[in-house]
Amino acid sequence: MTTKKKILLIDDDSDFLMATKLILESGGYEVFLAEDGKSGVEMVKSVSPDLTITDMMMETWGEGFTVVSKIRSIEAGKDMPLIMLSGVDLQGPYQSFEPPEESPKVDMLLHKPVKADDLLKYVKRLLDN
Amino acid sequence: MTEKTNKELILVIDDEESIRDGCRQALEKSGYAVITAENGEEGIRIAKERKPEIAFVDLKMPSISGTEVIDILSRDIPDIVLVIITGYASIVSAVESMKKGAYDYIPKPFTPDQLRAVVKRGFDHRNLKIEARMLRTEKEEMERNFITFVSHEMRSPLLVIEQYLEALRTVAGGCLDKNANDIIDRCNKRIHGLKALVEHWLDISRIESGVFATEKKPVDIPGIIMRGVEEMAPLYHIRELSIETDISEGIPEITGDEESLVRVIVNIMGNASKYTPGGGKVSIRARHDEYYVRISISDTGTGIPQEKLPFIFEPFYRVKGKKEEARGSGLGLNFCKRIMEAHGGKIEASSQVGKGTTFVLELPR
Repeated sequence: MTTKKKILLIDDDSDFLMATKLILESGGYEVFLAEDGKSGVEMVKSVSPDLTITDMMMETWGEGFTVVSKIRSIEAGKDMPLIMLSGVDLQGPYQSFEPPEESPKVDMLLHKPVKADDLLKYVKRLLDN
Repeated sequence: MTEKTNKELILVIDDEESIRDGCRQALEKSGYAVITAENGEEGIRIAKERKPEIAFVDLKMPSISGTEVIDILSRDIPDIVLVIITGYASIVSAVESMKKGAYDYIPKPFTPDQLRAVVKRGFDHRNLKIEARMLRTEKEEMERNFITFVSHEMRSPLLVIEQYLEALRTVAGGCLDKNANDIIDRCNKRIHGLKALVEHWLDISRIESGVFATEKKPVDIPGIIMRGVEEMAPLYHIRELSIETDISEGIPEITGDEESLVRVIVNIMGNASKYTPGGGKVSIRARHDEYYVRISISDTGTGIPQEKLPFIFEPFYRVKGKKEEARGSGLGLNFCKRIMEAHGGKIEASSQVGKGTTFVLELPR
């Protein structure tokens, strides 16, 4: 019996979490959910996921970037594949938002909504590496 | 804020000692804190330091006149209520001072009750003024935040619905028959429509809040046309439409907002693609003269009836009898018109049913 790979999803929208969880579970993954960055970072420690997907803009703008650097600073998250999801149109009213100077160490940036096929494809690719 | 007791502070500027003392006694008895000054300079200095809510200013004083004091205080101390103390003989100058920013006047001699009545009126006026300003600031703040609010609060649920539809298809997968899949497709189509509406509406709010007015930079006309063409090329390919560009040499730069002008071109090209049958062509021409740069975008599509042409730039106006695929936000052309107007330019359309439509964008050099 093979153990399922573990994926942690961090997003402040519980419905988005649910929808994405369903897609990932259909791909045979075990999915863990965190509704804010802080508990997300905690779960990286407690769950040791094989891959983490985090939203870019949570409560405070750019919290996703903070989350990423926190995750990277802990042992379990140092080399873990990370996907960042962005739901905002950076040409719009958020254009004044500037990502931190040091680019976040994510393996992939995807835009919401994510096509189920794409998500499963990218997740598989990152996990297979 | 300067440190103050809880009491409301009233400043009396008058060179007559009896007036200063009279005012102080009457007002302190009513619970106000009172400070006094015996000439204009001292009055201004104290007022700047203590920021009283109300100042009584005698019109006739040696050196700086009351009118000058009024002038300076109303300019330098926000929300101060100024009341003129005047003799009957100088009503005319009292009127003059009120024009300069005094709120009220009290003729000499006056009784403590008259004085208190004026003070009460003064405070009422001040409170209203402050309240009005706060409401105005709040309103402006809300207007600014509205754009951000809409983008977040309206886009997020749409995005989640799309993600759920994706999940539904993935989870239910094989169980869904063609009808069920069609329903999901239709849901997706309507969500896209609503998203486009939100985007256009945001664009329009941004024009209204004057964002574009402040971001004007030199714009390269061939550059924006090519950006529009590149963006639309994949869609044109799918719809089997060809794009032809004819841009004359030496078109000067104009001043404006590049992003919004690209949006205009993309909008018109998008429209053209909707109403032009496969195999058709969309031609983009750019020319300039001494005063204007003109970009014309012509299609070989179904055209717009003459009687409908005047209305196509109105928000939510739709030329009837379209296929469902042609459904747009209803704001696209209105957005284009507003963008052109924000640039001091204009947009015009001419059309022949069965032959095609031409939009001309005119921008001042």
